[in-house]
Amino acid sequence: MTKQLLVVENLEAGYGEMQVLWGISLSVAERGISAVLGPNGAGKTTLLRAVAGIIRPWSGRITFSGEDVTLSPPHVKVGKGLVLVPEGRHLFPELSVEENLLLGAYTKLGRYNLEESLDLVYSVFPRLKERREQRAGTLSGGEQQMLAIGRALMARPTLLMLDEPSQGLAPKIAIEILDILQRLRGEWGLSILLVEQNIVKSLEIADYAYVIEQGRVVLEGEPEELSKKGDLIKAYLGI
Amino acid sequence: MEVGQIFATILYGTLIGVIYGVATVGLNVIFGVLRIVNVGHGAFIMVGAYTTLVLYGSLGVPPPITIAASILLGAVLGLITYYLVIKHLVDAPELATLIATFAIGILLQETVKAIYGSDTRGFSWNLGFAEVLNVNIVYSRLAAALLGLLLLIALYALIYRTKLGLAMRAVVQDKEGAMVVGINVDRIYALSYTLGIMITVASGSVLAIYLQSGIHPYMGEIYTLKGFVIAVMGGLGSIIGAFVAGVLFGLFENASYLILSQIEGIQPLVLTRSIAFLLLLTILLLKPTGLFRR
Ligand SMILES: Nc1ncnc2c1ncn2[C@@H]1O[C@H](COP(=O)(O)OP(=O)(O)OP(=O)(O)O)[C@@H](O)[C@H]1O
Ligand SMILES: [Mg+2]
Repeated sequence: MTKQLLVVENLEAGYGEMQVLWGISLSVAERGISAVLGPNGAGKTTLLRAVAGIIRPWSGRITFSGEDVTLSPPHVKVGKGLVLVPEGRHLFPELSVEENLLLGAYTKLGRYNLEESLDLVYSVFPRLKERREQRAGTLSGGEQQMLAIGRALMARPTLLMLDEPSQGLAPKIAIEILDILQRLRGEWGLSILLVEQNIVKSLEIADYAYVIEQGRVVLEGEPEELSKKGDLIKAYLGI
Repeated sequence: MEVGQIFATILYGTLIGVIYGVATVGLNVIFGVLRIVNVGHGAFIMVGAYTTLVLYGSLGVPPPITIAASILLGAVLGLITYYLVIKHLVDAPELATLIATFAIGILLQETVKAIYGSDTRGFSWNLGFAEVLNVNIVYSRLAAALLGLLLLIALYALIYRTKLGLAMRAVVQDKEGAMVVGINVDRIYALSYTLGIMITVASGSVLAIYLQSGIHPYMGEIYTLKGFVIAVMGGLGSIIGAFVAGVLFGLFENASYLILSQIEGIQPLVLTRSIAFLLLLTILLLKPTGLFRR
């Protein structure tokens, strides 16, 4: 069996009194890509925020590289290489492209590899290099998404969690970004936990997928299996 | 009105204005990063004024050096009040932080009163003066404004030229973004709040060096009010805005005093104070995000 990098067991979380996640279990293999699919409001973003430590899990367990990180604060997780590209990007709009990237390398690991990471990010996203002096808030949607991913790569992640990286993008750019992710898995040995609306494309690059609905995993399996159950997925996702 | 009067108004309006700027930025830093309005702001200014009064008055420490003592005291007070109180209220409703910071202010006032009494006190630090256009340019006041300017420049450099400052600005612009790049947001909150208190206590020393009189436990209240006016003018959260607005406010205040004092039968000093309120109301009505905000 392949080694699991991230293991989430029976995770429960929510906001205030409202429970959103009702015992989610999933994992990401080393050098693997796991996809999480589900309708709007299913709790996908809440799941990633809980794993990243932005919201505090109510119960359950999160193990990363064999270490229990359930209640670790977000900056500690980033320091260990567990990095989130959040929904809505959350860039620093008043800062330049390059300042955003430099902040991406805020942790010890990032600082140590700063020059090399910057070269790598610029080679993956040449458009960012052209616009390095520009304020992040003035970038186009696609460029902002590249910057959000580039900023996350600056932290030298071993596991990259992406929350709808192709949201609001032209299909062509969306596919370009998913291709780049697949390339990084090969080149960097990166593992990926991907939340995506683009079901067909994400099933194509993922090696395991979960369908969640109302905070529970309702279906999981390898993409080929899930594709066979195409009707079932459609029923769950309401498409 | 003579030329001399106008010159004096502009000179002293600018000098006190710079000090107003320093005495306001702490409010801006704390609001900008933590989104907390420090209602006890003026009490920290008062503590700085007493630091200079006591250290110079009883121990003979040169006033400029007392600013360093105020910065240290500000660090201690900032850290204590942050970890005891503010830390637990960052995500609480606004009313909770308003009441808490108000309470901290009262606690400081009453502590100082218990130790030093409620008499209005002062001291004399005389550096001489020059006479220009029949106006005495008092060197100690010039020194106070220069020291204030130095404090502002240091704060600016810290926020715009250091890595800590970059992290602070990142937290201001997007808290969740700061979390996902690995910034310890709690730590930035603690440091920013403490920094805000440090510069505020230091500004009390600068103010004392400028005024050399009128030091009493409740002297800070008027500066809380003026601080709000200036912070709102400059856009809460902006350092340069606070500086420019501080100078404008100083000029405005001194000019109103000059004009009001031409009218017989009124008390110009009292009226000048109410002008601060009027200004605040006007700005809040016309441009609630501040005069210099994009
Ligand atoms: N900050 C919040 N406070 C309160 N409730 C929230 C908050 N964020 C999300 N929710 C609620 O939690 C539930 C799950 O939201 P979540 O954002 O995790 O869904 P999602 O699967 O990411 O949806 P989408 O595909 O639209 O991004 C929703 O009912 C949502 O209204
Ligand atoms: Mg979502």
